[in-house]
Formats: sequence, structure tokens, C-alpha cells
Amino acid sequence: MRNLRVLKVWRDVRLHGARTALVIVAIAIGIAGAGSVLDTWALLRRVTVEGFLGTNPPSATLRMDAVTAPVLAAVRAMPELRAAESRRTVMGTVTSDSTARTAMLFVSADIATHTIGRVAGDSGTWPPPDRAFVIEHSSANFANVHPGGTVSLRLGEGAPLMLPVTGMARDGTLPPGWMEHVVYGFVTPATIVALGGDSTPNELRIVVREHADDRDAIRRVAARVRVVAEGAGARVRDVVVPVPGRHEHQAQMDSLLYTQGAFGLLLLLLSGFLVVNLVTGMLAGQQREIGIMKTLGASPEQLTVMYLGLSLGLGLVACIVAIPLAAVIGRAYAQFSASMLNFEVGATPIPRWSFAVQLVAGALLPVLAALVPVRRGCAVSVSESLRDTGLGSAPATAAGRLFGASGLARPLLLSLRNAFRKRERMVLTLLTLATGGAVFLGALNLRASIRDSVSTLYEDELRYQLSVRFEQRHEGAALVALAMSEPGVEHAEAWSGARAAVVGDDSLPRSAFVVTALPADTRLVSFPASAGRWLAASDSEGMVVTPRLLEDEPALQLGARVQLLIAGKARTWRVVGIVGAGPSAGAYVTRGALARATGDSSAGAVALRLTPMSAAAQADFIQRIRARYEAANLLVSSTNLVQAGRGALEDHLLMVASFLGLMSQLMIIVGGLGLASTMSLGVLERTREIGVLRAIGARHGAILTMIQVEGLVVTLLGWALAIPLSLPMSVILERAFARIMFEVPVTLVPDAFGVVAWLGVVLVVSFVACLWPALRAMRITTAAALAYE
Amino acid sequence: MTAAAPQPLITLRDAVRTFPTAAGTFTALDGVSLSIARGAFAVVIGQSGSGKSTLLSLLSGVDRPTRGDVVVGDTAVHALPERAITAWRGRNVGIVFQFFQLLPTLTAAENVMLPMDFCDRWPGAERRARAMVLLDRLGVADQADKLPATLSGGQQQRVAIARALANDPAVLLADEPTGNLDSKTAVQILDLFAALAREGQTVVMVTHDMAARNRATHTIALADGKVADDDHGRSHA
Repeated sequence: MRNLRVLKVWRDVRLHGARTALVIVAIAIGIAGAGSVLDTWALLRRVTVEGFLGTNPPSATLRMDAVTAPVLAAVRAMPELRAAESRRTVMGTVTSDSTARTAMLFVSADIATHTIGRVAGDSGTWPPPDRAFVIEHSSANFANVHPGGTVSLRLGEGAPLMLPVTGMARDGTLPPGWMEHVVYGFVTPATIVALGGDSTPNELRIVVREHADDRDAIRRVAARVRVVAEGAGARVRDVVVPVPGRHEHQAQMDSLLYTQGAFGLLLLLLSGFLVVNLVTGMLAGQQREIGIMKTLGASPEQLTVMYLGLSLGLGLVACIVAIPLAAVIGRAYAQFSASMLNFEVGATPIPRWSFAVQLVAGALLPVLAALVPVRRGCAVSVSESLRDTGLGSAPATAAGRLFGASGLARPLLLSLRNAFRKRERMVLTLLTLATGGAVFLGALNLRASIRDSVSTLYEDELRYQLSVRFEQRHEGAALVALAMSEPGVEHAEAWSGARAAVVGDDSLPRSAFVVTALPADTRLVSFPASAGRWLAASDSEGMVVTPRLLEDEPALQLGARVQLLIAGKARTWRVVGIVGAGPSAGAYVTRGALARATGDSSAGAVALRLTPMSAAAQADFIQRIRARYEAANLLVSSTNLVQAGRGALEDHLLMVASFLGLMSQLMIIVGGLGLASTMSLGVLERTREIGVLRAIGARHGAILTMIQVEGLVVTLLGWALAIPLSLPMSVILERAFARIMFEVPVTLVPDAFGVVAWLGVVLVVSFVACLWPALRAMRITTAAALAYE
Repeated sequence: MTAAAPQPLITLRDAVRTFPTAAGTFTALDGVSLSIARGAFAVVIGQSGSGKSTLLSLLSGVDRPTRGDVVVGDTAVHALPERAITAWRGRNVGIVFQFFQLLPTLTAAENVMLPMDFCDRWPGAERRARAMVLLDRLGVADQADKLPATLSGGQQQRVAIARALANDPAVLLADEPTGNLDSKTAVQILDLFAALAREGQTVVMVTHDMAARNRATHTIALADGKVADDDHGRSHA
């Protein structure tokens, strides 16, 4: 009758309800923490992969001067292609709330019927009517443009048009507008014409028929499409072949989730420590009963099954709480993360396998954690089990001897020695607290590093406040001279830029990236070189690249000589440096070098360092400088205040640190629960000893102090241990962050505020965790304690 | 003088048990040799520290001799591996403790059923009925569904004896079973053991209670770990 054993276990659980609840909470926190990361990951994978692939993303995009009907027909006739579609992409300026922002407009008469890179209507009207604007979802909040409102839209220096925002749509193939600082919008060709623009398509998007997941195969097809298009009269500017089936920011998101997943697992492991402590304590309390059951014929295997079954049951109960909680947190976090990638989680169900993994982990974690203590507890001999007197023995330790020789007061001495009596239990509690503290301090260090890096980027490296882009390219000196004549400009430089693509081993161009050309002696940027050097005037073929570009194009190693296709001309360039320039992927060359490569020495933008002025004065200045250029017939396409992107970038980056901070808080809670359980078990095991202390005159205050000091000793040790542990933790976090976002300086010295804050946290944790055990110890009466079995 | 001893159920040959202590090795039993007949009511008496409880531990297989043999029935208990000893004990030995040692979260009947459960000795459907028979025999059937904490000391000890008898063991070992009871209840427990022995149950009881000698069929006196007296003199009254 197996039920009798189940009955015994069940009644034991009810008898020690508080302790059981503690175990369940500990496992639930671990499962909820790790499970929410798993749910987020599973949902994001499903949403991004299915969502991205669901748009039928283009295998390649060819940018041309004009995709005419004969060009489109010729390309569509190619048997290698499953589909080919055209649209116009044009840059403009959107003004809302008196703020002008760069806009990228997608123009097509039949955009709603496009099958490549399908755009889905989100709210309001879709497709856009004539003389109306449909905002892309990822730009709406950033630009504060929502259906029902109006925007002022203009192309170049054409007359602005006030357009109603009639709807919102979602394009899952785009990197999020808020991240790119671009307002994406959809308009009809008639609207573009009304704005004074050309509505001829300039972008050809194709989907290949075979080998759709082979980037090199797609490149070869794209090269043939280029030949066919050019044969039909088109002038192809560049060809972009993205990684097939992969969203542009997928790698970053994966890195982020893997890092978070690692901390989720760490949290689970720490919960496991707590379970080990609790099960060990529970078995210590059951030692005599185990001995009795052995005298009644219980085999170690039967006892092991009883207690492992109990652990399994506790894990399953914890799962009932944790799995739904993880689903709620995971869905919320997935929604947040998906919005970064411009996807909607909506009602997409969390995959069942994620729940199954959590259930298995939640059920097995306590079983695995309990395995050793259960085996050990059940292996104790009957005579040893029955010999227990209730007065614990304290093995002599070096710490104990040290305290003994310290001349401390006896009650304090007792607390200190008690803290070291159950060393294994104390070590696990200490490790849990210290790990939580190390992540806490590491997350604070990472936060400080991110802030420093963003400050460095915006205050030291980007030494200009405003950039002005022009509709056409102009002679650089004229642009600079005009800017310098405007009051408020300290320094001005003419910059130019181009799209470049590495020519691969197969002689085909890879994906295009932006090359910015600036004076070799630029005073407006100062990017630190992590390898090699910055540009010199003599660098006729030298270029520097950012680490993010190096990730995308591994061929651009320091010292490498690579063929770059710029403006249709292939030329050899040499990588002379790798510079940290924030999270963007790009390259820098001197204006002279670019002019030699393209045969065009004109500039398309000026960067301006302004005298210190208020935000309002900067807004006035922008109006003045635009008017000044336009008066000189130099048409401005957009202006961009460098600081405008700072807040968004900082918030975006700090979000990662915030998540780690949340994980550290959960770890500290688990540590606190561990301490509470350790202290509760200590009180339970020393009931008789406490009774003896009472019998010899210990009052409530003395008992309370003894327990609180004991807890304080453990937490202060945890506090101290976390400080050195935070150093490798900071390195790990900052390296992980570098993989996800961009290189930040490693902060090895713990922040003084963080150390003090951590001390505050441990004091609170210690007090709260020891309160219940201390009150329980105070309630022990001498008579009851001495009768305790 | 002693009568001719029947076939021994329990035999100890030169049993020694030592314990390492901070002050050196302590010898709890020092070359004890004795035999106890089947159906005997044997009491082991002696001062504190004389080795009584150690002797009982060796007989039950809870502890092992440092040297010497312990044989119960046909089983050389001292040579049984740990795994086998548990199963052997569950089926062949019932133990009664001074402090009863009932599992506090199980009712009286459930405590009695637990050994049957562990040893799978009786069919599941019959266990409750058997427990009730044993409790009835010990006069506590009306307490069957109560938790130990609600029972008096005497009632708890009766339940503990019922539990010890659950698997119908060849030997009943009792360690100071009356030490925690009032004198009236103690007498009832002794009468009970004597009655069990008369029915063929071998009972070995460690006690300080000299009155127990009057009911025993076999008295073993220990002093400083050695057998000071081994009297097989009485037959069942």
C-alpha cells in the first residue's frame, strides 16, 4: 500500500507548511525567471522567423535610376525568378510637432497587392489614398505620428504638403524606424507627384526560384538580373543581398536572448542551491524518523523514493505557479523585444515545447538538487539516526578558534560560531547571495559603462551638433563658406558619402554599406582606434571601419586589401584602422580618396559645430541656416541634430542592463529566501539548545540578537564576496554586451554607490530573512524545547 | 540452578563492540557470549553504561560488533550486508523504544501498517484489518484513528508494541519500554510481554526495572560490558 508512504510525506509537508512554501517559492522563482526568458526566446523566434518569412522577404534588392516597364518585364521573364516587383523609395522630410525628421517614403500604386516584402495594414486605411500618409508602425511613437493626425511632408526643397495620416501599416522587413531614426511612410505615386517628385520606381525586388537560402547562389542570380536590367536600359546603382531568411537585427536579438538565457539558467541553478539547503534541512529534521522507519524495515531505496517523490511533487506544484507567471512575463518581454524588431507578438501562442521544457526542468530541478542530500540522509545508519540528542555539535573550525581568541562577548561569539556550524549550508547560502550581488554590481557597472560610452560618443567623439543634407551634391568649399558666415557656427566641414559593397571572391558585390568621406584632418569626429589608426591625408586608398561592419563583412580585417564597388567602379582599398563609432555599421575614408574613386569631389552634407546655445536657439538656428542655403539655391533635404538620437540610443542600450538588474534582484530574493530557510532550519535544529540558553537566563532580546547577528554575519560575508566576484561578472557582462550592441569600456572598479547600495540591500535582506526565524526562536519555551524530539 | 535450555534462537559468541572517543577507545561490550531460547522472555539488566542498549543494537542489526558473531535463527546478522540487514530486520525483528518513536503524522493504525507496507509482508487489502487485530489485542483499538500526540504514554507504547508485532517477527526487542511510563502502566506492559512470550514470541527487553526479573524466564546481567550473570532459571509462569 504505497499510499501510506505518500500519506506520511503529505502530512509532513503540511506539518512544515512554512518551510514547504519556501521551497515552492524558491523553485517557482527559478522556473519563472528562466522560463520567462525561454518563453520570450520561443515567442520571438516564432514571431520573427514566421513573421519575417511571412512577408515573403526579397532575396535581393537592386537599386536603379528607374525601373521602367520594359526593365520589369525583362526581369520577370527570367526563369530563375519566382517574382519581381518594383517600387520607389524616396527620402523626404516629415514635420510633426514642429520637429523635422528624415523620412523614407515607399511609393507604389499597387502596394497592397505586392507579394514581396508584404506590408500589412495595422489600423486606419490601407493602402494609402492619394494625398494621404500612412505611417509605418515602428516610426509612429518615435515621430509621434499617428492615424487621425496630420504631417507636413516635403521632398527636397519642394513645397511642403499637409497630409492627413489615414492609417498605420507594418513592414516586417524593415529595421525599426525608431532605432534607425527614420520615419517610414507609405504614399501613392500621385502624392509624390503632388509633392513635386518623380514617381518612377527605382527599386527592384526579386525572389529567386531555387536555392532561396543560399546567399552566394542568390548573388549569382542577382548579378544576372543586373545584366538583364542593364540590357533593358536600366542603370543599376547597387545590389543588396541580405542573409536569406534572417532579419537584419536577428543576430543581435539572438545574442541578447542567449545572454539573458544564461542568466535565467544561473537563477535556476541558484534556486537549486536553495532547494539543496531546504531538502538537507528537511532531512536533518526527519533523521530520527528515517532511523525509525529503517528499524521497521524501510530500505534506503524506499526512503529515497519517498523523499525524491516529495521533491518531485514540490517541483510540480512550483510549476503550477511558475509556468503561467513565466508566460505572462515572457509574453510582455517578447512584445517589447519584438517591437524593437518591428514585429507584433499579438496572440501568437507560446510554443508548447517551451512549457514542456519548463515543466521537465521544474520537476527535475528539485529532484536533482535533493538527490545528494536524500541519498546521504537515507544512508545514515540507524544507530546514528537514533543517537541524536537534539543538542547540535559544533566541530572546531579555524574561524571558531579565531573568534574564541578575539575576546568578543559570549553571545556574539555564539552567533559567530553558529554561522559556521553547518558549513555546506552556509557556503550555498553565501554563494547564492554573492552571485546575486555580483550580477547586481555587474549590471550597475554595465549601466555606468553604457552611460560613459554614450557620453563619450556624443560629447567627445561626435564633436558637432548639426548635420545638413542637400538634395544635390555641391562644391564643398561653398557649403562650408556659407555655413561659416552664419552666426553661431564655430566650425564647419563638408562631408560626402556613398554606398559601397565588398566585391566577393566570386567577383560579385556583397551587401552595400555606407562610406562617409570627411576631411583627413577632421575636427568634428574623433573616434578611438581599437586597432590600427585613424585616416591620414595621404590615405588615397585607406579606409577605417567600425566593429559592427567588420562583423557583417569579415573580409575587412585590419591591413586587408579589398575590392570595393562604389558608384559602379571597383577599386582596391586598404583597411588602416578599426574605430569604435557607436553601434552603427559603416566605414570612413578621406574626401580626397572618395573623390579619386568616384571622380566626383562634390559634397552632399555639412557638419556644423555650434557655439553653446539652448535647444530653442538651436531650433531657430536650423530655420536660419536652411533659409540661408535655400536662398543660395542649395536645396536642403534634411537636418539632423546629433543629440536627438542620444536619449533613444541610451534608453535602448540601458534596457539590456535593466533586464540584467532585474535578474540580479531575483537572484538576491532567492539568496534572501536561502538565508531565511537556513536560519529557520538552524532554529529548528537548535530548539533544545535554545531551550538550554533560556534555562540559563537568555532573554528575548538576547535570542533575537543572536539570530539576527548570525544572519548578518552570513550576509556581510556575501556582501564582501560579491565585490571581487563582480569583477569577472562585469567583464562577462560587458563582453556579452559588446557582442549584442557595441564595445563598451570594461569597468573593473566597482562603483562606490553600487557597493554602498549593495550593502543596504544585504542589510535589508538580512533583517527580513532573519525576522521570522528570530521570532520563532523567541517563542520557544524552555519546557517545550527540552521536551523536543 | 538453571534448567536445561531449549533450542537457542539468539546466539552471541565473543561479541565485542568498541567506540572511538576523544578520550580513547571505549569498550561497550567486551567478549559477550550468550544464547536466548525461542519463546523466552529475556531481560537484560545492568547499570547505565553497562552495555545493555549496545547489546540490543547488535541483536537488531542496528549496530554491528567490532568482533564476534551475532546469530539470530539461521542468520549470521553480523555478516549481513547493510542492504540485506534492513529487509531481514523488517521481517524478523520488532523493536520497541523507550520513547515510543511513533511517527507523529500517522495515526495509530497507520503506524502499525507502516512496517507491513515497507516489507510487503501482508496483502495491501489485509493490512488495516491486521493492524486492528493487533491494536485490539493490545487494548487500543478504539485509538486506531488518532494521532500519537493525542494518546497517553501507555497507549502510545501499546501502539508501538503493536507496530513491532506487525510483521509477526521472530524476535521482539524492547529498549527500556517501561522507562517512560507510570508504574501501573509499566506493570501492564510487562504482563503483556510475558503473555507474548508464553504464546511463543521471543522477547528481549533491556530494563533498569528489577521487578521485570520476576516475570522473565531468562535474566542477563551486564556489568562493564561483560556478562555478570546469565540466569535461564525460570519457566513461564
